[in-house]
Amino acid sequence: MGGLQKKKYERGSATNYITRNKARKKLQLSLADFRRLCILKGIYPHEPKHKKKVNKGSTAPRTFYLLKDIRFLLHEPIVRKFREYKVFVRKLRKAYGKAEWTGVERLRDNKPGYKLDHIIKERYPTFIDALRDIDDALSMCFLFSTFARTGKCHVQTIMLCRRLTVEWMNYLVTSRSLRKVFISIKGIYYQAEVLGQLITWLVPYQFAHDHPTDVDYRVMATFTEMYTTLFGFINFRLYQTLNLVYPPKLDSKSESELKAEHEEDYAMDSESYLEKLSALSASLARVVATAEEEENQLDQFPAEGEDLENMEAREKEQKEQEAQNRLFEGLKFFLNREVPRESLAFILRCFGAEVSWDKSLCIGGTYDVTDETITHQIVDRPDIDKQYINRYYIQPQWVFDSVNAKMCLPVEDYFLGVTLPPHLSPFVEEKDGDYVPPEKLKLIALQRGEKHVQDDEEEDDDDDEEDNDEVDDEDLTEEKNLKKMEDQRSQGKTLAVKVTPGKVKPWETGSMGNKVRLEQEEKAEEKRLAIMMMKKKEKYLYDKIMFGKKRTTREANKLAAKRKAHEDTSKAEKKQKKAKKQ
Amino acid sequence: MAAVKRLKRVAAAQAGFMSFKSSASSDDLGSGQRKRVNKNKKKNWNKHSDIQDVEEFLDDVRLQERATGGLISEKPDASLFFVDIGEQRKYVQPEVQEGKKGKKSKLRPLRIDLILQHDSLVHPPKDVLAYQQPNAKKLRRIAENAEKLAAMGVLPRRQKRLLNRRPAITTSKSKTAANNFPDRPYYDLWGGDAKETADPYYLEQTGKKRVKRPEKLNSKPSVLPAVEVIAPGGSYNPDFFSHQALLLEAHEVEVKREKAELRIERQLAVNQEDTATEETVFQEQVEGLVEEEEDEDEEEEDVSIRGGLQQEKKTEKERRRERANKIKSQQKQAARAFTDKKQQLFQLRSIQATLKRREQQTRERVAQRKANQEAEKSMPRRLGRLKFQAQDLEVQLSDEIPGSLRTLKPEGSVLKDRFKSMQKRNMIEPRERAKFKRRHKVKYVEKRAFKEIT
Repeated sequence: MGGLQKKKYERGSATNYITRNKARKKLQLSLADFRRLCILKGIYPHEPKHKKKVNKGSTAPRTFYLLKDIRFLLHEPIVRKFREYKVFVRKLRKAYGKAEWTGVERLRDNKPGYKLDHIIKERYPTFIDALRDIDDALSMCFLFSTFARTGKCHVQTIMLCRRLTVEWMNYLVTSRSLRKVFISIKGIYYQAEVLGQLITWLVPYQFAHDHPTDVDYRVMATFTEMYTTLFGFINFRLYQTLNLVYPPKLDSKSESELKAEHEEDYAMDSESYLEKLSALSASLARVVATAEEEENQLDQFPAEGEDLENMEAREKEQKEQEAQNRLFEGLKFFLNREVPRESLAFILRCFGAEVSWDKSLCIGGTYDVTDETITHQIVDRPDIDKQYINRYYIQPQWVFDSVNAKMCLPVEDYFLGVTLPPHLSPFVEEKDGDYVPPEKLKLIALQRGEKHVQDDEEEDDDDDEEDNDEVDDEDLTEEKNLKKMEDQRSQGKTLAVKVTPGKVKPWETGSMGNKVRLEQEEKAEEKRLAIMMMKKKEKYLYDKIMFGKKRTTREANKLAAKRKAHEDTSKAEKKQKKAKKQ
Repeated sequence: MAAVKRLKRVAAAQAGFMSFKSSASSDDLGSGQRKRVNKNKKKNWNKHSDIQDVEEFLDDVRLQERATGGLISEKPDASLFFVDIGEQRKYVQPEVQEGKKGKKSKLRPLRIDLILQHDSLVHPPKDVLAYQQPNAKKLRRIAENAEKLAAMGVLPRRQKRLLNRRPAITTSKSKTAANNFPDRPYYDLWGGDAKETADPYYLEQTGKKRVKRPEKLNSKPSVLPAVEVIAPGGSYNPDFFSHQALLLEAHEVEVKREKAELRIERQLAVNQEDTATEETVFQEQVEGLVEEEEDEDEEEEDVSIRGGLQQEKKTEKERRRERANKIKSQQKQAARAFTDKKQQLFQLRSIQATLKRREQQTRERVAQRKANQEAEKSMPRRLGRLKFQAQDLEVQLSDEIPGSLRTLKPEGSVLKDRFKSMQKRNMIEPRERAKFKRRHKVKYVEKRAFKEIT
């Protein structure tokens, strides 16, 4: 029982944590510098499990760091640089105060600076690690590159961000790795697949900044500083993987094409190259000039069973991917001046289209409106005066929707002055039983329609039968009605467009049909039997699952009905309006 | 020089030499006796030998040279004499001079300059040293030699040493450019790095080796993705239902906020019963004047109770009985417990049921706790004084939805979105802007000009 009394707060969690202020004092840094250091090194505050213990009995809210993290920070060479910088500022101020201009100049020349390369290497030991964490960097750099040069942050930072983002876009154009686009009210979301990593980022609209006051610009600038370094190294590596010259150079062929006689009017010499690059209309120079990209095919391995299936699935996927990459190949676009040039040019180029625009809009336009070979002109105004007969005049949403649908959608819905179909988010993935908006259903039908022509009816019937199996008899009738309504509606438009020749359903005649039918019946029977044979416990679980499914379908059906009602009313209103007008 | 002098002396000794000053020599010849002096000492020679005449002669020579630029005796006659033919042009010259008098006076040099002018006709001796290069010959020879060697390709030793010197480490001295320099170069950071060849112990001891980053630091503080995509209702041209769903969500947030506000308001509201009525005001005023007596009574009662508490001593009999009672009750309890236990044999099923229930409960709790922990990973933690507050949902009302991309009005700020996202992912603690604190009180003074008017 004897021995020394244990003192409180000398072991356990109280010694594992350190408050921010203590950490700051330990590192001999000001709060701003400490914050900067933590951001650069990727050390974040930590919420202890037992705050009161850590806080030595007090319950005051404090910011805690792990003591080991702070000890690790002590070894960072940048800490010394921060201190040096502090001294530098002090000296500079003194020299200013004394009006020693030579002294000021000398100090300016010897301004201490630091590099973040080693930190990047330390935080991201491999390239893939870095690539996984690039989402933030991308969003941040795109954001900063749209800032006005008004002194909210350094002009140099803005320029660097612009350069890096242009490099990134050029890489995506060359590698054709863009996958999804979503125009939201906040900004444009992009998703690309780079070296097997899905990367999502957000690009703000141009000229849309009101600078919010409750954002700490210093913190954001520090993050950007780190991210630009990271981003640059990633860009370098990515360019290397494609055998491209870094920093990017325009192809000699396209460079000579782009050499306009009045390019001096557009930008200064120093800036025009970046502008030309950012126009995205030209391809990049390669280290080793290759005439054509050779088709890269998956290696074939002998496989059995599941592996074989997987392999086939993968191969199919890859084929689809390639088809998507060539989505706009061979098409020639012209952008009118009212559409967002950069995003559209970027997307179109990412899928192999040729793009141009008015000469006065931006540098780098390769052909004129009058070019007869233009296939699509993207217009975002109610009407246009002079129209060429051999090209489509479409609204910009067509491009985005086509990319998301992985196919060229019919242009009729996107003509000039036509009310657009809704722009659906490609980032939503519906599970079965969820409510799927009819527009999406239509789209899915269209996608299928490409593969095997017009067997929508068939599939729908199949769906119905499956549903019948699942849904119990109780509220079958009501639900069936709803379901039918929905199906009809979803089909309605496609049916209206296509006229299908009378088709004989296979199982109604012939032995083949009988076989299929028999098989299905057998399956249903088996299922019923299996349900019967279930244990009570399992049966209970099964019922629960089925109930959940039914509930979701019911909700979905309700939504569909609601939608129908809404559409009916809106149609009626429209009709009324029309009647009134007439 | 000596040769010239001798020549001159010879010239002077000759009969034809003419001196400038004719009277000088005749006086000296007639002076008295000679002094006797030893001539065996050089000092005496200097002292007593008479060199007056020679010096005079030389002075005269120098004078002649200075004034006329040479010995007069050697000059040709034509330069010494001219033929006098009367005053013919004397009248012409003054007229011309009078006419240009003003100009000439201006052109004439100052007298001071004339005085300072070199008036001797003997040219000053040339300073040979000024034109001479010391060691010229040697240097010329060296240069020639160097040229010859350079042609052969042999470098001089100094240059060779310069070339042999180890190149100074320029990188350390060169300035590190700022990180945000727009044209900064990048390189392959993850390329095959050169293996450290130095002794690891040496590197560790001299602080040249980087401390290894703990693995734990590479894990992210939250499982949330860096970029959260907005709900499908946030599309610029949304599908009706997803837009409604988003609106509903925004509505719910708003309702919640309003509820919280109302709650605070309700809590702050004054209770109707607490307000003073006439009656209560009167009662307060009379308080302590009317009902004093009741209190006193109560006090008395208290005293009486306290007196009653003092107990008398228990008798032996009472104690015995108490003890017996106690034992009895204990026995009763024991018997009861025994029978209960016996009965439990028949309750086995229900006991089992309760046990099962309890186990089920604990299992559920464990699952719940796990789920909570899992959910907490994606929740913003409390990292400082302030709680994380989510950003307002970006929503456009049904009548704000633009028909086309051209008329789209962006909602919210991406900058704020990024900032909040970082807070949400526990990368930075939520903070509020530092409030401006005035150190000195502001004193308002009317300006004098303004004061005069009012």
